[in-house]
Amino acid sequence: MTMKTLLGTASLALLLGTIAGTAQAQIALGHLADYSGATSDVGTPFGQGVADTFAYVNKNGGVNGKPVNVDTVDYGYQVPRAIAQYKKWSGGDKVAAILGWGTADTEALTGFLAEDKIPDISGSYAAALSDPTGAGGKAKPAPYNFFYGPSYSDALRGMLTWAADDWKAKGKPGKPKFVHMGANHPYPNAPKAAGAAIAAELGFDVLEPIVFALTPGDYSAQCLTLKSSGANYAYLGNTAGSNISVLNACKAAGVDVQFMGNVWGMDENAAKAAGAAADGVVFPLRTAVAWGGSAPGMKLVQDISKMSDTAGTAYRPVHYVAGVCTALYMKEAVEWAAKNGGATGENVKKGFYQKADWVPAGMEGVCNPSTWTEKDHRPTLKVDIYRMKVSGATDASVADLVKNGTIKLEKVKTVDLPRKADWLGW
Amino acid sequence: MAGQTLIPAGDFRTSYAVDTTVFPTNTGRNAMIIGIGLICFAPYVLTSYWLSILIQIGIFGIAALGLNIVVGFTGQISIGHAAFFGFGAFTSAYLSNRFGIPVFFCIPLAGVVTAGVGLIFGLPAARLKGLYLAIATLAAQYILLDFFARAEWFTGGSVPASAEPFSIFGYSLRGDRKYFYVVLVYVVICYLLVTNLMRSRDGRALVAVRDHYLSAEIMGINLTKYRTLSFGLAAFFAGVGGALYAHYNQVVSNEGFGIERSIIFLAMIIIGGIGSVMGTLMGTAFMVLLPESMEWLSAALSGSAIDHALGLKNNIAFLREMAIGVIIIAFLIFEPDGLAHRWRQIKAYWKLYPFSH
Repeated sequence: MTMKTLLGTASLALLLGTIAGTAQAQIALGHLADYSGATSDVGTPFGQGVADTFAYVNKNGGVNGKPVNVDTVDYGYQVPRAIAQYKKWSGGDKVAAILGWGTADTEALTGFLAEDKIPDISGSYAAALSDPTGAGGKAKPAPYNFFYGPSYSDALRGMLTWAADDWKAKGKPGKPKFVHMGANHPYPNAPKAAGAAIAAELGFDVLEPIVFALTPGDYSAQCLTLKSSGANYAYLGNTAGSNISVLNACKAAGVDVQFMGNVWGMDENAAKAAGAAADGVVFPLRTAVAWGGSAPGMKLVQDISKMSDTAGTAYRPVHYVAGVCTALYMKEAVEWAAKNGGATGENVKKGFYQKADWVPAGMEGVCNPSTWTEKDHRPTLKVDIYRMKVSGATDASVADLVKNGTIKLEKVKTVDLPRKADWLGW
Repeated sequence: MAGQTLIPAGDFRTSYAVDTTVFPTNTGRNAMIIGIGLICFAPYVLTSYWLSILIQIGIFGIAALGLNIVVGFTGQISIGHAAFFGFGAFTSAYLSNRFGIPVFFCIPLAGVVTAGVGLIFGLPAARLKGLYLAIATLAAQYILLDFFARAEWFTGGSVPASAEPFSIFGYSLRGDRKYFYVVLVYVVICYLLVTNLMRSRDGRALVAVRDHYLSAEIMGINLTKYRTLSFGLAAFFAGVGGALYAHYNQVVSNEGFGIERSIIFLAMIIIGGIGSVMGTLMGTAFMVLLPESMEWLSAALSGSAIDHALGLKNNIAFLREMAIGVIIIAFLIFEPDGLAHRWRQIKAYWKLYPFSH
């Protein structure tokens, strides 16, 4: 190929790209997704849920009749790339809001978001993002950060409350032992302090944390440490992908521990991959039902899913449904803002305070009622604890396994934590 | 410029001043001055996106310059350069947060501290060559990375450290527009320093060590001193670049300082031209613009006919990574002397037209 044709095609491609980009005046939203990085195993379904929701919204008239332009960027779970992308979005024509993802980058961006007044609803549930005024004293003020679901710390508090009762119900003598397992990274470290504090309060023996990386690997060493420490309850702070490695290694090492995951720690795909090792893992669910559950709102989720799966046969993991809820909360906040002074960042932030016990339209029975206020960005303190039951070989497809009951999400308990002011922000 | 060591026949130097000049021609000097003058208008003309690209080129250009000292001018190898870059970033953030030193002083101080660390890790260089030195610098990379992840007193552990915006005696410069000038000043100073180094005695000693270390030693050049010195200098520039990076992003997380960043620095100087100061900047510009142009290309391709034909969909992101690797290999095969050599060929073509060889 000669230089001329190369240059010609390159400039043509650039031209086509710019033409495609400059569409009519729209509401612009930024969407950070992890499709290729350390948390891509859970980032892909969540990001897909967000993207499909806005595709569905645009197909059905957009927001107040105007289409929403969502710029999805895969930043590979790397903070510098997220910051570079944020600089692009907060430049000349700012985006109205951002649908964020990871803990490290969202925590790094809190200051910028507050200065540029761009709200960010993230896939990170770090409690440090839930204190808008800094009144709790433990976290930096994050007035423009939101998330849908219980924070990592509150979810761990809920699970430890259940664990304390579970220990007594089993009639075991003495103090139960609790250990925090996770990578040395802001996302698994987020609830460490809160978990240790409430575990000590509830009468647990808090052991030294065990570190294992966010990427899948050989964690037999960590399992042997776990076994020799005699822990009874272990919190898995990483996403499903690396948790599977730990579950498999610990099952092979014969470790008898009740594993408790975070919201990203377990899902149906992970259950299929880990098989029997995933049986019995306890973790919180952000939505009232999983895919295919009986709720009036599940129909809307299935319609949204058809935006990327026209055949309607894909099985969507729990993270997809949570992504749909997150995106719909953002959509309704933007809608409120557009009706009340224009879709600017400040108005979208106010849009998040529009209702108490808010469920997006059409999602009854799926999204849990959430309340954000000026002083408290914890949307809910209700932790729905589920147990993953795997009762056989997991060779078939996830859809079939769920249909014939080999993989089942069994509800264990709903823990209603008190909305304590001194729990805000950590 | 100073990169040319062979003086062609007929090129007579009539005085020491002419011999040691930085710019061989008046045109070159004037073009440089006019160029810098024009760039000063950039913040008012360019969008914030292009401004951030230029700032990145400046920051990474300074760090790559350090690497070119150790790889290009001294002939050694360093695959741990990103760790020094990160060390400079964390040091500057630490100094400004903990001791309240104005950021104006933190940046050069961070360079000096990083130079010290570089001297320590450069000690193996005195005895090792080639592959063994590469492994030793790789060890430096991972030692420093682990240090960043664990030393909570220094970096905050796994939580990204926050760095203040650039300030001098209480007057803080906020925003990319003002920071551009800070970076511009540092780039001009650093490049002038290195160009001057190369025409000085120490610079010629480094080149002698690269070209034939045995002869250099016989001539009386202390190999240990100059090999370690080149590591220290490389770390100084990496530290300054890292400090500028920290105060630009205002957040320092230890993810951007891994082995991938080290390889990108190496790619910058290889593509630009090993042993050429101007080539460093050209190579840095190329490497900074490469992922951006790949993103445009993949954004243009996604949803189009080619996408459907090849079935790319979500894998366009990987296409970008592959393209970066392919381009580096292509440069190594077709243009091993880098963009600087290609630029000299272009100049020669026009100078000798129509008699180009």
